[in-house]
Amino acid sequence: MSTRRFAVWRGAGTEGGLVEYDVETEEGMVVLDALREIQRWQAEDLAIRWNCKAAKCGSCSAEVNGKPCLMCKTRLDELPEGEVIRVEPMRAFPVIRDLVTDVSWNYEVNKRIPPFTPAPDTEWLIAQEDVDRMSEFRKCIECFLCQDVCHVLRDHDMKSNYFGPRFMVRIAALEMHPLDRADRVELLAGQAGIGLCNITKCCTEVCPEGIHITDNAIIPLKERVVDRYYDPLPMLGRKLAGRRRKDGPV
Amino acid sequence: MEDTHDVLVVGAGLAGMRAAIEAYDLGADVAVVSKLHPTRSHSGAAEGGINAALGNASEDSPELHGYDTVKGSDYLGDQDAIEILCEEGPGDVFQLERWGAGFSRTADGRIAQRPFGAAGAPRTAYAADITGHVLIQVLYEQLVKRGIKVYEEFFAWKLVEDGGRCVGVICWDLLHGGVKAFPAKTVILATGGPGRLYVGTTNAYACTGDGMGMALRAGAALKDMEMMQFHPTTLSPSGILITEGCRGEGAYLLNKDGERFMKRYAPNALELASRDVISRAEQVEIDEGRGLDGNVFLDLRHLGAERIVERLHGTRELALTFAHVDPIFEPIPIRPGAHYHMGGVETDVWARTTLDRLYAAGEVACVSVHGANRLGGNALMETITYGRRAGRHAAETALEADDAALPESVVRDAERELQALLDRSEGERPWRIRDELAETMHEKFGVFRREEQMTEQGEIVRSLRERYAHVILEDKGNVFNNDLTQALELGFLLELAECMVVSGLARKESRGAHARPYDFPERDDENFLHHTIVHWHDGGPVLSTKPVRFTKWEPQVRTY
Repeated sequence: MSTRRFAVWRGAGTEGGLVEYDVETEEGMVVLDALREIQRWQAEDLAIRWNCKAAKCGSCSAEVNGKPCLMCKTRLDELPEGEVIRVEPMRAFPVIRDLVTDVSWNYEVNKRIPPFTPAPDTEWLIAQEDVDRMSEFRKCIECFLCQDVCHVLRDHDMKSNYFGPRFMVRIAALEMHPLDRADRVELLAGQAGIGLCNITKCCTEVCPEGIHITDNAIIPLKERVVDRYYDPLPMLGRKLAGRRRKDGPV
Repeated sequence: MEDTHDVLVVGAGLAGMRAAIEAYDLGADVAVVSKLHPTRSHSGAAEGGINAALGNASEDSPELHGYDTVKGSDYLGDQDAIEILCEEGPGDVFQLERWGAGFSRTADGRIAQRPFGAAGAPRTAYAADITGHVLIQVLYEQLVKRGIKVYEEFFAWKLVEDGGRCVGVICWDLLHGGVKAFPAKTVILATGGPGRLYVGTTNAYACTGDGMGMALRAGAALKDMEMMQFHPTTLSPSGILITEGCRGEGAYLLNKDGERFMKRYAPNALELASRDVISRAEQVEIDEGRGLDGNVFLDLRHLGAERIVERLHGTRELALTFAHVDPIFEPIPIRPGAHYHMGGVETDVWARTTLDRLYAAGEVACVSVHGANRLGGNALMETITYGRRAGRHAAETALEADDAALPESVVRDAERELQALLDRSEGERPWRIRDELAETMHEKFGVFRREEQMTEQGEIVRSLRERYAHVILEDKGNVFNNDLTQALELGFLLELAECMVVSGLARKESRGAHARPYDFPERDDENFLHHTIVHWHDGGPVLSTKPVRFTKWEPQVRTY
């Protein structure tokens, strides 16, 4: 048992600030446990979103000592001893109250992505290696920590130009489903703004599911965009193939 | 007051979303109310898989699946409902595949199936070890694709009954505050289970039996409330679930002496016996001193690093993060934890409850397909099959029905009631009551039950209910008032606890998950082969019984 000091952001919208609380801590406690202690004894109106406590539901996203993380998965003994532990809401999203943010922009973006679209006469046989390729992306729990940390969304506030890493992962999962027939490349190049990602990989660093967002989702999708719009050889090939098809076999 | 919907679904987990999709596809005007964003629902925590007699791994049939389920239920399951589940299951699984669910595959590209507890053939389809999570995403995509309206972060609190029919739901708007009324021609409850009644549970915080509590208060019957399944492999103290899939892949259960103790309790099935059998075995080992710090061990080491990383990746992550153990090198300490409630709101095979126009599907319901004990993999199947059936019947009923009117006076009463709770200036904090409830339920109404302990627990619950009448809220605000919703959840939990305890006392036998080894150790088909029914009347539970529906299978001695 030892006492740790927490500085938790309290407030609504842009009005508010850090309030300090001391908590008796035990071995194995995570940040969420400490906040719930604060909620019980010291700040009964502290607003927090949480549910599963097992890093599966994606509800408890916050910034601890400036780093976006899941509160249920961040052990106190991982944080520097003797220092105040700062707990703040995700800064890339408007604050509803205390640590609860309005992440609904993400749900709106999601609506613009064409869903899984199989061909009508699909034969439903899939190789395990094809399932494996997209299974990494399916692990995403929509905690939005990657969206929170991405400087394009967070610092440059370009939510109207870039869908963000989470949705690059979603598009990759759909694009890499072997039986999906929808084309999302135009979307990626245009509205989804994949060109705005400059591969700083902050998203990969904060992902609690360990998804290699940049390397496995974003870069392959960038390559598809480049193939379609910027690579001269395939473009030439398509032009020639197009002419051949119209004139009949040579 | 919101506009009247044809079908209002309460709860946006797998059952709720599947019901909404079906109702929409039949042309009904559907809306979903959920106290969480849909993908946060606890269905997403399910790991191991979904059962259906596809026959991809070996010879199998819906009849064999049916027999396993009936036997697993310790013959308390309604066999017509079970037959429907097993017949329709395969079609539902193929539908999920066509919606893009990334199931693991066989070598020839079909849906893979693995062995699971108490199954006569490997029939559990799975997506690595995050099956529930994958299915939640698939259904959410279908929900969004259809543009189905979801009222997110609305806490459903009261069902409104008028003239013998359910006419809608009254909710608290968690984001903005205030009471919101949703009139509807039909209402489908898909609110999950009450695992949070127990201090050691795999369930998330939101699993507080809201739908069951609302149905009870509205006059609907609950069934088999005493049947709470304790999952054999949960981490201590968090209760985090370690999937049965580990045992499906070949993991062993060991006591502190390194003995594979299941050979003494279930010599044929060993670690793949039924969950109630295993939880009891573990509890005996622990009680008789062969455990360590209240745990026994799940050993994966012999499976090898490659297989663990490929097939049980999620399990390894959980063990590393929450138990500080790497299963490649060390066994995982585990113990039984409250996991799934077989009981719930009484329904027929079309998900109709005893209140006209009210439906229930998923864990909140008791059809009953699981009887006294549920097989692993059958819960996910139930959410899909019975969610779909609920959606279908509710839509068809609503499309032929007249408008539903929700009396304004009921809304005003609800507002007054909540305001009174908010205004109270003296009283006890709800969390104290909730903690006492969870600890005492665990101690006195857990894996093993005894007459004196259950009787004591009944008294404890009644005194907690009296204290609950004077709870005070510290958060009086409108925006994101968790304090209020948690206090309302506690109200449900207390009433459900009382129903469970009286049902447990009345069942003077051991059957499935209801184990009374000290006073009634045997199953008594002559006197207790029936469902326990509870109604709420004058502030307390009233018991009755209902026969089990038999089709093909006669009760037999149940061994594994």
